[in-house]
Amino acid sequence: MLRFASRRLLYSLPVLLVGSFLLFWAVRTVFDPLLKLRQVRDPGLIARETERLGLDQGIFIQYWRWLSGFLTGDWGVSSRTSGSVRPMIGSALTVTLELLVWGLIFATLAAVLIGVWSAVRQYSVSDQVMTGASYLGLALPAFWFGLVLIQVLAVWPQQALGWDKPLFFFVGLSSPTEDPSLVDTARHMVLPVLTLTVGLVAVWSRFVRTSMLDALTSDYVRTARAKGVPQRQVIIRHALRNAWGPLITVVAIDSALLIGGLLVTEQIFSIPGMGRLFLDSLLSGDVFVLLPWMIITGVAVIVLNLAADIAYGLLDPRVRVA
Amino acid sequence: MAGLAASALVLAGCSSNSTTSTSSSSASADSSAAESAAPADAMGVQQGGTVVIGAEQEPDCMDWIASCAGSIWGSYMAQVTTVPVVFNVRKSGDDWVPEISGIMASEPVVSAGPPQTVTYKLNPDAVWSDGTPITSADLKYTALAIRDGEDILDKTGYTEIADIATPDPQTAIVTFAKEFAGWKVLFSGSSGVLPSHLLEGKDRPALMNDGYSWSGGPWIIDSWKKGESITLVPNSGYWGDKPKLDKVVFQFTADTAAAFQAFKSGQLDAIYPTPQLDAIDQIKAGIPGAKVQVEAVSGNLEALWMNNAKPLLKSTAVRQALSYSIDRAAIVERLYGPLDVKSPAQSFYPPILSAFGGQDFSTYGLDLAKVEQIMTADGWAKDADGLWAKAGTPATLTITTIAGNKRRELMEQVLQQQLKTAGFGLTIKNSSAPDLFGTILPDGDFDLGIWTLVTTFPDPSLSFAFDSGNIPSEANEFSGLNYSRTDVPGLNELLGTVDRTTDAALRLSATKEGDKLLADSATSLPIAAVPNVLLILDKIGGPTSINPSEGPFWNLQEWGLVG
Repeated sequence: MLRFASRRLLYSLPVLLVGSFLLFWAVRTVFDPLLKLRQVRDPGLIARETERLGLDQGIFIQYWRWLSGFLTGDWGVSSRTSGSVRPMIGSALTVTLELLVWGLIFATLAAVLIGVWSAVRQYSVSDQVMTGASYLGLALPAFWFGLVLIQVLAVWPQQALGWDKPLFFFVGLSSPTEDPSLVDTARHMVLPVLTLTVGLVAVWSRFVRTSMLDALTSDYVRTARAKGVPQRQVIIRHALRNAWGPLITVVAIDSALLIGGLLVTEQIFSIPGMGRLFLDSLLSGDVFVLLPWMIITGVAVIVLNLAADIAYGLLDPRVRVA
Repeated sequence: MAGLAASALVLAGCSSNSTTSTSSSSASADSSAAESAAPADAMGVQQGGTVVIGAEQEPDCMDWIASCAGSIWGSYMAQVTTVPVVFNVRKSGDDWVPEISGIMASEPVVSAGPPQTVTYKLNPDAVWSDGTPITSADLKYTALAIRDGEDILDKTGYTEIADIATPDPQTAIVTFAKEFAGWKVLFSGSSGVLPSHLLEGKDRPALMNDGYSWSGGPWIIDSWKKGESITLVPNSGYWGDKPKLDKVVFQFTADTAAAFQAFKSGQLDAIYPTPQLDAIDQIKAGIPGAKVQVEAVSGNLEALWMNNAKPLLKSTAVRQALSYSIDRAAIVERLYGPLDVKSPAQSFYPPILSAFGGQDFSTYGLDLAKVEQIMTADGWAKDADGLWAKAGTPATLTITTIAGNKRRELMEQVLQQQLKTAGFGLTIKNSSAPDLFGTILPDGDFDLGIWTLVTTFPDPSLSFAFDSGNIPSEANEFSGLNYSRTDVPGLNELLGTVDRTTDAALRLSATKEGDKLLADSATSLPIAAVPNVLLILDKIGGPTSINPSEGPFWNLQEWGLVG
């Protein structure tokens, strides 16, 4: 297993190196690192900054300087905030991961429950309803769904019941006027997590349903049933365990994409995560943040794919051998 | 010459530098759209309590004199409340005018010279939060940090300083290299006064960028949680009236729709939304339990800027014809009608500076007969497509603004329709704010554009936007802000008089003559003053109102919870 993981890790390094250069080249080509300074009424500043940042040097030299700094922890200074980039990304990543972890836990549980239920009761009314709901969930744009959730789960109940505050908050991750508590965090988390996961649950539950249907009609399940194994054990121990594989792959890939793709959810709920950071940096042309941001999300994609491969290998010995 | 007024050319609605506030003739409404009422709240307020205010933007940094401090929201939240200034902007009659603040012992004394000098006498009772007196050394430190510093947001006025003497801790004498009419912008507006005993000889950006623990105002910064909130608490060392509230939290809420919902649900006690279409729709729909204050008189002037260097727009006749092709009244009615703002701007001086402007642009209203007459006289004829053409070249133009600004995008669509009716083709070509202000406008790569002239201090200088010396060029490394490439004979002299003379009457006549020249040559076309809107829950009392220069939180120390 260790050899398998090492090999996969080794393959990832050149991918990261080439990917980071392509990203560097693309960002340097598309964005002007001195764009913001061009609005400052200080002639001479552009020339000084060009020299200081080495922007007049070749792309490979610039890339090498940047990569050396990145690997040694010097990620540069944001042109937007004049602050160090590393803590900015670290802080945003922490917030996003918090949201992501809760989202993934909820989405995985919901998808498995819905998928298993639908598969076990194939073509029943509940299966049809869940299938319909899945398509609806897939079709819902996050920005719209988020605002609908705010209205339906926060504003309307508050108005109907005459509460001072809504049951679920939708600004930030904590109440600025209250001491931090688990309850307060939970009240802030519910709506963004639901917004984030509606699409995931829709897709993942379809995967689970399909995998479960395959598993439930397989010989080993038929054998287990013939041996008198109870239905619950058949589903959980035999069918579900074999149906995990495709779901794990999808969860890993989607998780990586979500790190950068939380933009809409974070914007609606005023959450200072990676999505918001990307948007703010993009709008202000802050290449000094955009570049490490993209590298981090790129690394996340590769690492989580690796994790999926390893997990898949753990679940299915045939993968390890291959 | 790059900008002699405490003004900035920014596009309202962009990620930073968006709106600047406004005030003067205010309107207020309860529940539904704006109805006239006094902005001040006479209700008694209790001592203590916390208020949470929604903030559309987070400042990029808190080193207020550095280029990263361009966010006007940063100024509203933490600069106005913690950094002392020499001149506040306060209402006097119908006008908002500079008025000495509490750190001053008396009105500064101006000696015309030459050389011109201004003597400042400081209030000996004025102290920083650590008890150190605010002294002339602080003025000197601030002036030199801006004049001689690098990466400074706005050096307006400070580059005119030849010397600053500090004969005693309460006296500072500023000597100018040349006569300088706008001296009141010094130590006011975007700079204020910084504490020399804490900053001199040290790395100021490092000490201020992420917030600071000192204050010379009624509030002090308690915390700045990046991406979440800024919290202010009363400055216990403040020598003036202490704040009534125990704490004010500015919570960052970037999404307007969510901010309105949070306001309605009581998560936010006040919001100050940019008057975009969705915000106006929300206000129009009504917000129970809230006061809506609309300030139509503002420092923000939205205009249709014409690139006078483009072949088609070099012609005064074509610019005038375009100006007669546009129904500005209809545009303003469509954009701001629900807020009771219906009259187009008739001057390049925004309402906060209305005393300096005229009504010269009122000559331009929709008049297709006049368009026909002007274009025909200039040798144009309509082609098969109904567009004006001359020597085989049709009168087609492009227009640009910040992509995503719904109000401006709607304005572009209306303009497209109106100009088509008048025989002009118009193609919309929008871009991001950094591209627009960093590249497109400095390079002159546009025909028409919509952006906002923002006045942050009531000084009538317009040379930064219309003096031909400020046309972006190699000479000024494209840092000039005369993006419309205005070059009207006689205008530079008038703008120079406005910048230099300390003779108030001469200054006033020069502003009015300059405004008339701009109108006669139709170099660009003012559209409307962008109103400002403040929404406050009924539970908040005090004299809440919008200051056109300092924003809606200029008197936050007087706010409180209704008892």
